[in-house]
Amino acid sequence: MKLGIGARITAVFGLGALILSILMGGLSYFTVRHFLLAGRESAAQHQAFTNANLVRTYIEGGNKKYVVLLSNIDAGTDAHSVLVHRAKTYDSSLTVTAASIPHELRKVVLDGTAASQTYRTPQGTAEIVIGVPIPSVRADYFDVFDLSDLDHTLRVLALALFVAGGITTVLGIALGRFASTRSLRPLAVVSRAAGAIAGGELDTRLDLEAADPDLEGFTISFNAMVDQLQERIEREARFNSDVSHELRSPLTTLAAAMEVLEADRDDLPPRSRRALQLLGDDLRRFQRMVGDLLEMSRAEAGSVDIFLEEVNVSELVQRSVETGFGHMVAHGPGGPPEVEVDAAVRSWRVGVDKRRFERVMVNLMENADHYGGGVTGIAVQPDPSASDRVEVIVDDEGPGIDPLERTKVFERFYRGSASGRRGTGTGSGLGLALVAEHMHVMHGSVRVESSPAGGARFVLTLPVLPEPDGDGEADEHQGGDA
Amino acid sequence: MSGRILVVEDDERIRSSMRLALESEGYEVRDAASGEEGLDMFAEAPPDVALIDLMLPGMDGFECCRALRRSSAVPIIIVTARSDTHDVVAGLEAGADDYVTKPFVAKELAARIRALLRRARPAEEDPGALTFGDLQLLPEQGVLRHLNGEEVHCTRTEFRLLCELAASPNKVLSREQLLDRVWGYDYFGDGRLVDVHIRRLRTKVEVDPAVPQHILTVRGMGYKLVP
Repeated sequence: MKLGIGARITAVFGLGALILSILMGGLSYFTVRHFLLAGRESAAQHQAFTNANLVRTYIEGGNKKYVVLLSNIDAGTDAHSVLVHRAKTYDSSLTVTAASIPHELRKVVLDGTAASQTYRTPQGTAEIVIGVPIPSVRADYFDVFDLSDLDHTLRVLALALFVAGGITTVLGIALGRFASTRSLRPLAVVSRAAGAIAGGELDTRLDLEAADPDLEGFTISFNAMVDQLQERIEREARFNSDVSHELRSPLTTLAAAMEVLEADRDDLPPRSRRALQLLGDDLRRFQRMVGDLLEMSRAEAGSVDIFLEEVNVSELVQRSVETGFGHMVAHGPGGPPEVEVDAAVRSWRVGVDKRRFERVMVNLMENADHYGGGVTGIAVQPDPSASDRVEVIVDDEGPGIDPLERTKVFERFYRGSASGRRGTGTGSGLGLALVAEHMHVMHGSVRVESSPAGGARFVLTLPVLPEPDGDGEADEHQGGDA
Repeated sequence: MSGRILVVEDDERIRSSMRLALESEGYEVRDAASGEEGLDMFAEAPPDVALIDLMLPGMDGFECCRALRRSSAVPIIIVTARSDTHDVVAGLEAGADDYVTKPFVAKELAARIRALLRRARPAEEDPGALTFGDLQLLPEQGVLRHLNGEEVHCTRTEFRLLCELAASPNKVLSREQLLDRVWGYDYFGDGRLVDVHIRRLRTKVEVDPAVPQHILTVRGMGYKLVP
């Protein structure tokens, strides 16, 4: 697994804090321990020598009650005395005997050198023993001190240092996280900006003023990159738009001249009349194509000023189907298809550009005519997956659309595998792309699925507006200005 | 129906073909290649309708509309290349009554002209004179005036819109109804026509157009006139 940069920074901080706290903790522990032990040892030595002196005086005085002496010496302290005199051992307590004194130390002392040693008894108690030879009376005095209080202190210290170390490590991790999010924040800004640019907001730039001084160079080159990108895209969009625009003027002339000719068609010989018919039909197709291209390039350039009007959805669909049917470049026999309106949506209102919506319906009906054997049904019903949306369904009885092609059909100039023909009335290849584009600018969407009869089913969804409040008069909001 | 039309269009071919198409619809057409020329021709012989392309060299279509409006209430149709930009609203605000988009169908253009030339339709019930605020509307005489006798100048379209609203005071009329009655549009007429004309009308009849007292917006429904 690859660790993210954030996780790595956090880990480094955590590890650093851990190592630091081990070092500092260890150092403090051993310093304190050394200091406490040294103090304790010197106090113990002092005590032992004093006691040894006492013992010497006692023995020189000829007294023999050594055990009583040792008990007296030990009384009130946590020390135990052991006396070896003429190879005989005397001790003051049951727990500490000559046997509990380490063998090596005993040997050193019996050889005539004073010595001390700390050790741990088999019971786990820490002790220090000071051995003092008293050659003048041929005795050796051992004083054994209990170090459990010191031991306890060191244990508490160790625990405290351990806890402190743990806290430091956790703090280190927290600091690491903070630092990583902090240092990655400029990246988040960049990522947001890049996302916005990818989403079409080409005016997005990084703020040079607000940028971290260390990232100035990066910010400048990022912005320069987006400038270039924007310029290229705009140049291309402008070209598309210019081309379609330039086509409009001759088209206007052609259309007007054609109408004059068509008005006089009865005066023409039959052959010319037929030619005029062909010319007129294709001129209208050509007009549609240029219109579609222009619409598309405008959508791409993002220069769509959408004007949404609040209208009743069932009326909108019904009217769009009726009027749109007449606007179709070519349509089959019979009248416009029936629209089936669910009772629940009868009074629902939507915000649309009526002209665009009519084009959506025309394009879907034409698509059904070209590729799906004609429209078999149009329905308006509530969106089952969202209570605040309404669905408009257009079914055909064609072969349907392969699931793999269902998003591709909304791409420009996409011609499905099932439709190789280019007969009469073939569209511009932009029809469904424009449907998607129009629905998008009207805050709706379009998708395709299978109709119950096996054909294609195009589903438009639009957000439903709240019921108008009949008393909301005199408010200056122009209902439609979106 | 006949009428005189002034076409202001810089593209010579479009001008000629429009002339041919409109003439075969029975109109008398004069054409000008620039805004300045158009204004001269207008002063010479005022037409019944002016058709102005928005994109003109020199004085542009908006300026041309404004100049015409300063002296005349003649119906103006602007010709625009795009319908979904601010051009349309800006053109309407400059004083145009309607618009057509290139490439247009001459029959459709003729229909638009006919609708503008039509006399105010006789309302089902003659509204008679209606007084609201300190204004008096006399539909029969085509006059809107203050109670002190001073006349308020408005275009034919504005006047017809006001008459339609006045024909049923306090009753909400939808954009579609107004588009149908004033401009002769079907369901797919552009609601912005109504909105901009209402806005223009308010600057003439309301004391404070930002807080209208008589021509009220009913959100999601339409407009109504409250005397």
